[in-house]
Amino acid sequence: MRELLRSPPGVVGAVLLLVVATAMLLGPLLAPYDPQAFHPRARLQGPSLAHLLGTDQFGRDLLSRLLHGARATVAFGLGATLLGVLAGSIIGITAGVIGGWIDSVIMRILDGLLAVPDLLLTLLIVTVLGAGTGHAMLAVAVAFTPGMARIARSAVLSIRTQEYVLGAIARGESWAWIIGREVIPNAIGPVVVEATIRVAFAIMIGATLGFLGLGAQPPSTEWGLMVAEARQFMFRNPWCVAVPGVAIAFAALGFNLFGDALRDSFDPRRRHR
Amino acid sequence: MSAVLPERPPAEAPVAQTPVLEVRDYALRYRTGAGPVDALKAIDLAVPRGRTLGLVGESGSGKTSLAWAIMRYLPANAQELSGRLLLGGEDLRAMPTRRILEIRGARISMVFQDPSTSLNPTLRLGDQLGEVLIRHRKLTPAAAFEDGMALLARTGIREPAAMMRRYPYQASGGEKQRVVIATAIACNPDLIIFDEPTTALDIVTARQILDLFGRLRDETGVAALYISHDLGLVSRVAHEVAVIHQGEIVERGPCRDVFRAPRRDYTRALLAAVPDPAHRIGGPPPDRTAPPLLALRQITVRYGEQSWLARLLQPGQKVVRGAKDVSFDVWPGELVGVVGESGSGKSTIAKVLAGLQDFSGVVTFAGRRLEGRRAFDRAYRRAVQIVFQHPDASLNPRQTIATILSRPLRLYGTVPRHRIRPRIAEMLARVRLPAEFAARYPHQLSGGEKQRVAIARAFAAEPRLVICDEITSSLDVSVQASVAQLLVELQHETATACLFITHDLNLVRQLAHRIAVMRHGVLVDLFDTEDAAAPDRHPYTRTLLDAVPVLARPTH
Repeated sequence: MRELLRSPPGVVGAVLLLVVATAMLLGPLLAPYDPQAFHPRARLQGPSLAHLLGTDQFGRDLLSRLLHGARATVAFGLGATLLGVLAGSIIGITAGVIGGWIDSVIMRILDGLLAVPDLLLTLLIVTVLGAGTGHAMLAVAVAFTPGMARIARSAVLSIRTQEYVLGAIARGESWAWIIGREVIPNAIGPVVVEATIRVAFAIMIGATLGFLGLGAQPPSTEWGLMVAEARQFMFRNPWCVAVPGVAIAFAALGFNLFGDALRDSFDPRRRHR
Repeated sequence: MSAVLPERPPAEAPVAQTPVLEVRDYALRYRTGAGPVDALKAIDLAVPRGRTLGLVGESGSGKTSLAWAIMRYLPANAQELSGRLLLGGEDLRAMPTRRILEIRGARISMVFQDPSTSLNPTLRLGDQLGEVLIRHRKLTPAAAFEDGMALLARTGIREPAAMMRRYPYQASGGEKQRVVIATAIACNPDLIIFDEPTTALDIVTARQILDLFGRLRDETGVAALYISHDLGLVSRVAHEVAVIHQGEIVERGPCRDVFRAPRRDYTRALLAAVPDPAHRIGGPPPDRTAPPLLALRQITVRYGEQSWLARLLQPGQKVVRGAKDVSFDVWPGELVGVVGESGSGKSTIAKVLAGLQDFSGVVTFAGRRLEGRRAFDRAYRRAVQIVFQHPDASLNPRQTIATILSRPLRLYGTVPRHRIRPRIAEMLARVRLPAEFAARYPHQLSGGEKQRVAIARAFAAEPRLVICDEITSSLDVSVQASVAQLLVELQHETATACLFITHDLNLVRQLAHRIAVMRHGVLVDLFDTEDAAAPDRHPYTRTLLDAVPVLARPTH
């Protein structure tokens, strides 16, 4: 962890994530107003002393909504990504290690899924399962699985022919040791980095689903939904789109930078440069 | 400092001409995260017309940095502290980029180590050769094609027109290097920089490339800077030699003088490390009346075997044989050398014995008959250990040396659990590494140290046979010698048999009791090491032996 904080991007990423984490944990306590309270006389206002980040079309305080929404938004992104990465890694590593025709069959199926745009696939799943945050999360996870599987598999394939893996096979090591101790620790880097980038995508897809009425439902304070709801008012008060938008961007950037630094600290060869 | 005078100036050369390349008091430093690194210190060199200067040094000695400094292609963190790089009396450092671009490829050209990476795989060979002619000699594409064919013919390519139309993947390594050399001489340069031009090639091909180089040099009178770590090679091609060590030239002079009577300790150590077939370091021969430890019978390996579907769709696809009917025996405590060019099947045999490759045929090990890879159980795998070529790749970068070394101990239960720690220290001491290395990661060790760890790991299993697959070829000369020495000692102490796979004939003649020669997957020759020079050797063995430069030794 100390190594991680030595690199400037790692520090910036950690700080951004710390801010997001604070909002997630303490947001409701810090919020100056009830996120759902209407202030009819202060609709679509810019920042002021009363409303630090302005208000939306119903006069709801944007800062309060933002702080309340952090939990739902980030949890959605993290949860969906985690599920997708887990499923994808398992499939990818299995395909990569077994190889042969099983690998070909698995990868051709995943290629087929990859050809369907993420959003379309998600919509399809949500339509079948029904609307709601949990279903949306599952749908995003399923949509992420093929891509993650491909990344995990290519990482495994490049590791599998390394001499230390051949050496382990020659020694007569068990498959569990070879996969768990020789392959995965060396293959995990690209998966982790891709996963952190995908958290940002997951947040965005969640928002889109909310906008289409298939994910988070109003009056939820989920950030993506906030952007979607405020969209038609953005020319009267750009703040109501910019505030949650920028928040999403910062959270995404935080995950991204942190992921990069994490990868470097995972790799003992980079650690000491 | 005055230029080193050639021993025999070429007849037509005027006596006091300016050298083609002169480097004076040149110093280069790299700024790195860990502080400044002095790559080159006070370098003085001169290469007259028609002469070849061999620049010899180990990896990290700064020899390639000098080549790039002369080409004026240094990375952004390089800092030139002092000195001049004179090409025909003009300082390259003072020239604007526009002039440098005119000089590169036209007056100075470069031949790289690996022709398979220095040629663009998406362009035809003819286009890559023609590019230089069009760029620097302003030829039309048609004229460039004509000239290119003539150039290829000069480099000994039999069908130049066909070669011009081929892509790099359609040519062999030797042919590709000939194309690179043709490109280098295309504009009649003043100077050619060779950066280990034969390291990536087979012994026999390397020999042909060297002969070609000698002929072209005599024809064109080009000056050459020949960078290499191989002293034997340099002694064959160079007139003068400069020995570089940690960025400093420690010794410089006519080739014959430096090799016969080295003045500096470093040069002497370097020369002593070059394998000398006359100087045996291997142990006494094993008792060959006992039954053999390992017997291979009709081992055949086919690569790229098609599935039934592919066979159905594309009949007549060729199956590549990695090994064909290979049979030989290894006695306990014996060191058998396996030599051959790349693709000869020597590594295939290593993979078969390590249980990494399916095969047909019979392996009899310690009286047990094993047919096929599935018969290799844990007892066999413990008794047969393998050490790989690249120590960087054979040690898991995420495990400490202790974890790496403890693995065979735990896996085979060689020692009880509480003895593992002290055993690791013992093993490190045995391969002459300090005990505190146990806590380190592989990347914190040098190549030679890593290879010692890999050897320690193999011997930790207390095996009966160790397979060494080119274990010295990625190491520096001086390290190579000590690793080979260590292996022989361990092997002799523990009476372990060893299969030593290599392309270095001089080295294997020092170590092995018997030598097996492979070619195209077939075992062509197998003989006692003392009989290597015997007249009745297989012609291919003869070719290999003749292709290897043997260094002229210092006279004591």
